[in-house]
Amino acid sequence: MAAELLIRNGVVYDPINGVKGEKKDIFIRDGKIVESVSNPKVIDAEGRVIMPGGVDIHAHVAGGKVNSGRLMRPEDGRKGIEPKTKVCRVQSGYSVPNTFATGYRYARMGYTFVMEAAMPPLAARHTHEEMIDIPILDNAAMPLIDNNWMTLEYIKSGNTDLLAAYIAWMIKATKGYGVKVVNPGGTEAWAWGKNCNLHDTVPYFDVTPAEIVKGLAEATEKFEMPHSIHVHTNMLGHPGNFEVTTDTYDLVKGIKPYRDRPAMHATHTQFHAYGGTTWKDFESQATHITDYVNANDHVSIDIGSIVLGDTTTMTADGPMEYDLYQITGRKWTNCDVELETGSGITPFLYSGKSPVNTIQWAIGQELALLIKDPWKVALTTDHPNAGPFIGYPIIISMLMSKKRRDELAEDVHKVIFDRTVLPSIDREYDLYEIAIITRGMTAKTLGLAEHGKGHLGVGADADLAIYDMTPEERDAGKIQKAFLNTKYTIKAGEIVVKDGEVVAAPPGKTIFVTPECEQSLMDEMLVTLKDKFDKYYSVTFNNYPVQDAYLPNPYEIKAPMRG
Amino acid sequence: MIGKEEKKMQTITLKLKDSVTSGSAQVPVEADVLTPDQLFGKSEAEIKAVKVWWGNKQENAGDLFDVSVSGDAGSADDVKIVFEGNLKRVKRIGAGMKAGEIEARGDVDMHVGAMMEGGRVVVKGNANCWAGGEMHGGELLIEGDAAANLCAMYRGEEKGMTGGKVTVNGSADELVGQYMAGGEILIKGNADRLAGLNMKGGKITIEGDADIPGADMTGGEITVKGTTEMMPSFKFVETAAVDGAEYKKYLGDFAMGERKAKGTLYVR
Repeated sequence: MAAELLIRNGVVYDPINGVKGEKKDIFIRDGKIVESVSNPKVIDAEGRVIMPGGVDIHAHVAGGKVNSGRLMRPEDGRKGIEPKTKVCRVQSGYSVPNTFATGYRYARMGYTFVMEAAMPPLAARHTHEEMIDIPILDNAAMPLIDNNWMTLEYIKSGNTDLLAAYIAWMIKATKGYGVKVVNPGGTEAWAWGKNCNLHDTVPYFDVTPAEIVKGLAEATEKFEMPHSIHVHTNMLGHPGNFEVTTDTYDLVKGIKPYRDRPAMHATHTQFHAYGGTTWKDFESQATHITDYVNANDHVSIDIGSIVLGDTTTMTADGPMEYDLYQITGRKWTNCDVELETGSGITPFLYSGKSPVNTIQWAIGQELALLIKDPWKVALTTDHPNAGPFIGYPIIISMLMSKKRRDELAEDVHKVIFDRTVLPSIDREYDLYEIAIITRGMTAKTLGLAEHGKGHLGVGADADLAIYDMTPEERDAGKIQKAFLNTKYTIKAGEIVVKDGEVVAAPPGKTIFVTPECEQSLMDEMLVTLKDKFDKYYSVTFNNYPVQDAYLPNPYEIKAPMRG
Repeated sequence: MIGKEEKKMQTITLKLKDSVTSGSAQVPVEADVLTPDQLFGKSEAEIKAVKVWWGNKQENAGDLFDVSVSGDAGSADDVKIVFEGNLKRVKRIGAGMKAGEIEARGDVDMHVGAMMEGGRVVVKGNANCWAGGEMHGGELLIEGDAAANLCAMYRGEEKGMTGGKVTVNGSADELVGQYMAGGEILIKGNADRLAGLNMKGGKITIEGDADIPGADMTGGEITVKGTTEMMPSFKFVETAAVDGAEYKKYLGDFAMGERKAKGTLYVR
C-alpha cells in the first residue's frame, strides 16, 4: 500500500460534504482521507469525475441462499467465466457470481461496500464465510428477525423490552448489522402452506404483520442503532399491493428514531408498487408510493429496479417464490430455517416483450425519478432478484438520459405508454444526484457515514472511484461504460482497479453492530430463549453464536440502549 | 480462368506429444481453440504459438502437439485438422467450430463437437460424455461408442442440441439428446436409458435397443428399431410405416400434461 496518495485535477462529487462537482485535490495517508500529504504518489485525474466508493444498501451476495442459487444454476455459473490472473482468482456466474467475481465486479464499478440484505441467523456462519471470500469490499449483513418464533411470541405478549433484548442478542450472536424484516409473518405462515397480508393473522401465533413491523421498529429504536428496520413489505410481487406498501410505511409514522434518519427503510420498492387486480390489468402505482415518500420523512426506499434479461430470484419470502415458480414452471427450491425463517429460489427472465415485465421495468425508474429528494432513495436491483448488480450502470444511464429512456421505450412492450407514466417524465439525474443515490444516501441511511463510508471528508476511509468521463458527458452509452469500469478504484488508500482491471484484491472488513442491552432484561429473555434451544433448535445455545474467528477484519459499532 | 477452380486443401496434423499424457495426473488438454476457422490463415509457426489450456495453465500448441502443415487453403472450409496420438485426455475437439473438417484418430475426451455451428468432425474411436452437446449445426460422426449425454445440454440449461447431424456407429450411453430442440441424431447401436429426456424438437433414430425413451418429451420424434421398455405415460395413436417396416406410433409424454404432450415415439 502506498502510504500517501495525492489525487489531482479530479472533479469531485461528495454529497455528504456538499461537494458538488468541484475541482479539488484529495489527500490520502494510511488508508484515510487527510488534510495534506508530504511525499505522495500522485494520480492525475485529468478532469475526470471522482466519487466516494459506492455503498450498496441492499444486495444478496453471500450465504446459504446465494450458494443454493449457484448450485441450482450451473448454467448461470458458465456465464462470465474468467480464468485466474496474478491478482484475481477464478470468476464465474452472472446473476449468482462466485464470491471472487462479486468483489471484483463491484470494485470495477467503483463500489467499496455491500450490505448483504438477508442473513438467516442459523446460517450466519456460512454468510460470514462467504463474506470473507468476497475480496476488496467492506461488508455487513442483516439477520432476519421478523418471522422468528421468539419475535412472534414477544409481539403477541406486547413486551417490547424483551423483544429489544432478543434483537440485541440475535444481532450480537450473528455479528449482524441491523434488523431485517422479510414478508413479516408471511414466511412463518408459509410453513403452514399459507401467506399473510398486512392485517391477516399469522397461523398459531395470532399476531399480524402490522404488529410485527411496529413492534420491531419500536424495539430497534430502543438502541442507538445506526440503521432503522429494513423492511421487505408483505405481498411482494402481487398485483394491487401498493396500498399494503404505504399502509406499512404508516405503521412507523409516530416512532421517533434515535437519530436523524427515517424509522424504516423499505427495500426493493419496485416489487411493492403494483396496481391492478391480476396480471391482466396490472399497472404501475409508482406515483402512489412516490407521493407518500415526498410527503413524509419517516421512510426511505431503494428502488429494486429491473435489469432486463435472465436472473435468479431468491428471498426469504418463500410463498412469493412459490407463486413465481407457478408462473414460470422453471426450477424452484424452497428451504425452511427451523424456527427462524425460510427461503425460496427460482430463475426468472425479465423480457421487454412481456407487458408485465415492461411495467415492472418502468416502475423502478419512475420511483427514482418521481421522488423529489434523492436523499430518500437508493439505487438497487435487489441483486439478483430484479437483476444482477452489474446492471447498475445501465440504470444510471437511463436516470441520466431522457433520450435513452425514450429510445428504450420503443424497444419494450407498448404497454409502457398506457400503464406507466415513465415516458412522460422529463427529469434527468445529474452526477451529484447519482452520487447521492449510490453512496451519500446509502451511507447516511445505513449510519455508515460517521464510520468513514460514502464520503471523502477528512478522516473518512480513502475509498473512491475515478470514472473515465468528464462532468459534461451526456452520451448515455459512454456514461454506462464509465460506470461499469472505473479508471481507478481506490480502497483504503490502495489502488485496486486501474483502467477497468483489478490490480489488487485486499480483503475487506466486516462491520457489525453490538447493541448493548440492560443485563436484567437480557437475563429474563435468555430463560425463554434457552428453552427454545432445548426444545426446538438443532444446535445448542452455546454453539449458536458466530465466534470472532469468522470476522478476520472486524469493525465494531456499539449501540448503547437509549435512556 | 473461367469456370473450374482447382479445389485447394490444407491438412494440419496435430500429434499430441506422449509427454502430455505420460504423467500420472492425466491433466486434460482443451482443444477448442484448434479448429479450422481459428487456424485458417496461420503459418506453422503461428499455429505452434496458439495458446492452449492444459489444466490450469496456458501452453503453446507447439509444446503440446507436434505440428505439421501441408497444402494451402482458400478458406476455412478447405482446412482439415487431423488429431493424432493418445487423445483420451483431449477435450473439446471441434467445440464451437464453424467450418472445415476435423479428424480425430482415436478415442477422445468430453465435449467433442460441442456447440459446433458448421463443418464436420469425425472421431475414429469412442467419444466421452457430451459429444455434440448443444450443437447448432454441422456434422459429427463417431465411429465407435458415445458416452452419456450425447448432444445434451450443459447442466442446468433448458435447451440442448438445436441443429446439425450426429451419427454414432456404435452405441450411446444414457441421456442422448437431453433437452434437444432441433437437428438429427442417428445411433446405429443401442442407446441405454432416457434418450430424448425433455426433448422439444428434432429427431433421434436408434437402430438398436433403448429403454424409457422420450421421458418428459414435449416435441420432436424418436424412433427405436430394437427392443424398448416404454414409459407408461405415452398414448398409442396408430400403426405406421417407418422405412418400410411396421411401427407403433405413440404420443407423449403425458406426464408433462395433456397440452404439452406433443412428442412422437415410434417403436416396434
